[in-house]
Amino acid sequence: MISGARQGSPAGLRRLFAAAMARDLRAFVVPGAEVARARGLDVEAAGLGMTGVPRHASVLLVVGELPAALRRAAAVVYAQMMRPRAVLAAGAGDLSPLPGADVSVGLSQEELEEGVARLRTAFARGAFAPGAAGFEPEMLRARTEYACPMHPEVVQDEPGACPKCGMELVSREAADGGSGPHHGGDHGGANGDHGHGGHGHGGMGFMSMVEMTKDLPRSSDGLPMEWVEAPFGPLFPGLPGGLFLKLTLDGDTVAEASPSACGWASPGPLTGPADALAERLAGIDPLSPASYRVLALRAVEDAAGAGADERTARARAGALERERAASHLGWLSGFAYLIGHRWLARRAAELQLAVLRAEPAGMPGLRAAARSLARRIERTPLLARRLEGIGALPGGTGASGPVARAAGVRTDARCGEGAYRALGFEPVVREGGDALARLRVRLAEIEESLGLAAAAGSLDIPAPRTATGASGAGAATVETPRGTATLRVALSDGEVVSAELEGPSARHLALVGRVAEQRELADALVGVASLDLSPWETAR
Amino acid sequence: MSALGQYALLLALAAGTAGLALSVYGIARSLGGARREPGKDVPATAGELSREPVWARYHVRYYGYALLFLAFDMEMAYMYPWAVVYRQEGLVALLDMGVFLAILFLGLLYGWSQGALKRQ
Amino acid sequence: MSALAVLAALLAGAYLVAVLEGWSATGRLRPAGPAVSAAALLGRESVVPRRPDRVLFEAAPLLLLVSAVLAAAVLPLSPRLVVADLATGALFVNAALAYVMVALLMAGWGPDAAYAMVAGWRFLGQLLGYSMPIVMAIAAIAMRAESLRNTEVVASQAALPNALYQPVGFAVFFLAAMCLAFLPPFDLPTAPGELAGGVEAEYAGARLAVMRLGRMVLVVALSAAVTVFYLGGWLGPALPPWAWSAIKTLAVAAAMLLAGRYVPRLREAQVLAWWWKLGIPLALLNIFWVGVVLLVAE
Repeated sequence: MISGARQGSPAGLRRLFAAAMARDLRAFVVPGAEVARARGLDVEAAGLGMTGVPRHASVLLVVGELPAALRRAAAVVYAQMMRPRAVLAAGAGDLSPLPGADVSVGLSQEELEEGVARLRTAFARGAFAPGAAGFEPEMLRARTEYACPMHPEVVQDEPGACPKCGMELVSREAADGGSGPHHGGDHGGANGDHGHGGHGHGGMGFMSMVEMTKDLPRSSDGLPMEWVEAPFGPLFPGLPGGLFLKLTLDGDTVAEASPSACGWASPGPLTGPADALAERLAGIDPLSPASYRVLALRAVEDAAGAGADERTARARAGALERERAASHLGWLSGFAYLIGHRWLARRAAELQLAVLRAEPAGMPGLRAAARSLARRIERTPLLARRLEGIGALPGGTGASGPVARAAGVRTDARCGEGAYRALGFEPVVREGGDALARLRVRLAEIEESLGLAAAAGSLDIPAPRTATGASGAGAATVETPRGTATLRVALSDGEVVSAELEGPSARHLALVGRVAEQRELADALVGVASLDLSPWETAR
Repeated sequence: MSALGQYALLLALAAGTAGLALSVYGIARSLGGARREPGKDVPATAGELSREPVWARYHVRYYGYALLFLAFDMEMAYMYPWAVVYRQEGLVALLDMGVFLAILFLGLLYGWSQGALKRQ
Repeated sequence: MSALAVLAALLAGAYLVAVLEGWSATGRLRPAGPAVSAAALLGRESVVPRRPDRVLFEAAPLLLLVSAVLAAAVLPLSPRLVVADLATGALFVNAALAYVMVALLMAGWGPDAAYAMVAGWRFLGQLLGYSMPIVMAIAAIAMRAESLRNTEVVASQAALPNALYQPVGFAVFFLAAMCLAFLPPFDLPTAPGELAGGVEAEYAGARLAVMRLGRMVLVVALSAAVTVFYLGGWLGPALPPWAWSAIKTLAVAAAMLLAGRYVPRLREAQVLAWWWKLGIPLALLNIFWVGVVLLVAE
């Protein structure tokens, strides 16, 4: 029996429908399809269709361990899925407040496929069950509260009269923060149709529309209209999973944007034995684990006073570049899905999985494939028109990585590294500072990274144990796929005494407001997506 | 059959299609109703419960296009009968409608020059 | 009765178009795909959002299906295979398809949800773009056929199909039909990546099944309209007339479904600007062109 079964006995017609449902499984991937791909899982090849709409999904696929905030969001999505529904956990640990996983597998493609087969039989047998339990966690309950239509700040838990104006309090559901369609200022009706007080309540008399809307903030075309607050995260299909984005919409224009990220709990992974620091840091960001592993190794080596020899540095460079290519391809696939370019989304996902599984000998072939993909993208009709001028940021905003390089700023932490100089590295810089320029920078970097990985010859990360019993302070910088990350550590007898980690996404998160506000909704989302945020990299 | 008969047939077709859809609902309903659980009926917004109503005046930005659309829509009502008798009326018909369309087209060009044809 | 035969053909056509859509989306041809998906949808719960506008919410999928079926009902498969060969057939097609907009706006407003609301109003923007070119193209058809009766429209193409006689009108009508059926790249109301399902997001179970069926029938109806108006309907050598109609309709549907895979979604502002600055002048030019040719070729 699956945990989200429908009430009823599995007989007759119901068995037919259960068999059909078992063959047509659709998965909602938590925290996001990009995380599943970054871990090497090909969900569609395993037999699960993917969807970003909770009500159209029958399986909640949880990939990797989730922080508590994302688990709560996943529980909300699960509650909004239609029964019969099931949870398939791939490498996830504790899932509360979600019900326990119906099928649990490890983080590999074979296990996922075998898990899907098990899930299908579970659906065919258990989609209808006589004794299915309800899913009623405390966090989902709605409270009724009573508010005054004219004074929205007056809120009580029982019905009564408003102390300010004497009007009867109107019941409404307790909102999680906002107060319904509001004008960003004075009038805040509980429902839109209460908002204009020309009904003679409390002796207001007749007010003309001009008078009523006198104090309201105006939109860019001069009209004052209602604003609606809508969440666009953390589990929104077009944006990176884990990005809590709240947009205040004025029609289909974004009036205000307030992002926040799920992040990692500071100082958790930064404490403990220095030898295992690389492992712990690699677990922070599922989208670029190799970069943080190399960062930790370098910082510890710098603190212990041991340098890395040339061969190690070359191998690490190869691994970093392979991850950069995979990360950019993963970003490209999600971006193409956002702008509705379906062929590109599938092709980029295919290439990303091929890069993640490739051996050093396969790199030149992948590089040729990346080059032809980039050429094809340049020739796509209407793509340049779609992206030009969207999300424009001038140089000098404190950004790093491809976002800065797309604005003409020639900053790259790899320029100062010997291994890269030996491999003949040149940073890719473009002009424009908008989404199109960022796309071009990342396409060029994919090709360049695959070439560098092929030249480096090895793709693993040698980790000599240099830190046992070491003491000292050191720092290291790594160019992650999203920007420059810096780690400063102080060791004492093989233990990390203090550490400071700064990732690129914290600064990029602050740019979301500039990129999204006063733009049409689709353009705002494209701008945010073009920043390639990793909500996992910021400290909570 | 007569025109009235044809329209009656189409009305019956519309009613029959609606009836078919409702019977499909009935089949699905016979498997059991929906279970009422907290949070299930809140509109799905990407992982956060948002119970706020969105019924408010929606600020569309295409009202420039909408006004021009009204003008052209009135014109198209005249185009249909004109198109049917065009060939037998000959050059006169072309000139008559040509003048009408030219005036409207000039209106379109004027609107374009004044900035009506963009996202407001 | 011929009416029942046409309706059966419509259902079969909708099924085949669903198979085609699955193929264009996933690259795999699954003949049993739509049947399994439909059964899977019927087996799921269907829930009504809290505080909806119940009338609008329930009416939207039904209205989508009914308007598509009515539009298809006046399009002939062969001179005798048509449900109702109205004297104003070409006008009736446009009139029935106008309710698609009403249905999508209902679906956008009804559930009181943020994403659906934005999606519904976006479709209205799209309608302001494609409406006039569709009507202008139909008017040019009627000029050549001297009638609005669909069987006569096809008969008027015995010498040369309208796709060659009025190529500009053909291109305009084809693109406007893609806009009306909100197929990618014009899929603003159900944008999967941008609006997490848009107008379809709050529908599940049987209601979603009816909505998707309505969408398939709409694609078939529009492909049949393109065939009847521009490709000469049932005209063709060797094969029986209904076979030619079927082949042409499916070919048009396949073209519509495949065209959007390789191009990103168009923004609402772009759609409107392209239609009003380029599409409508081209459609007017088309009318003028047909008018001159009809007079000159006497």
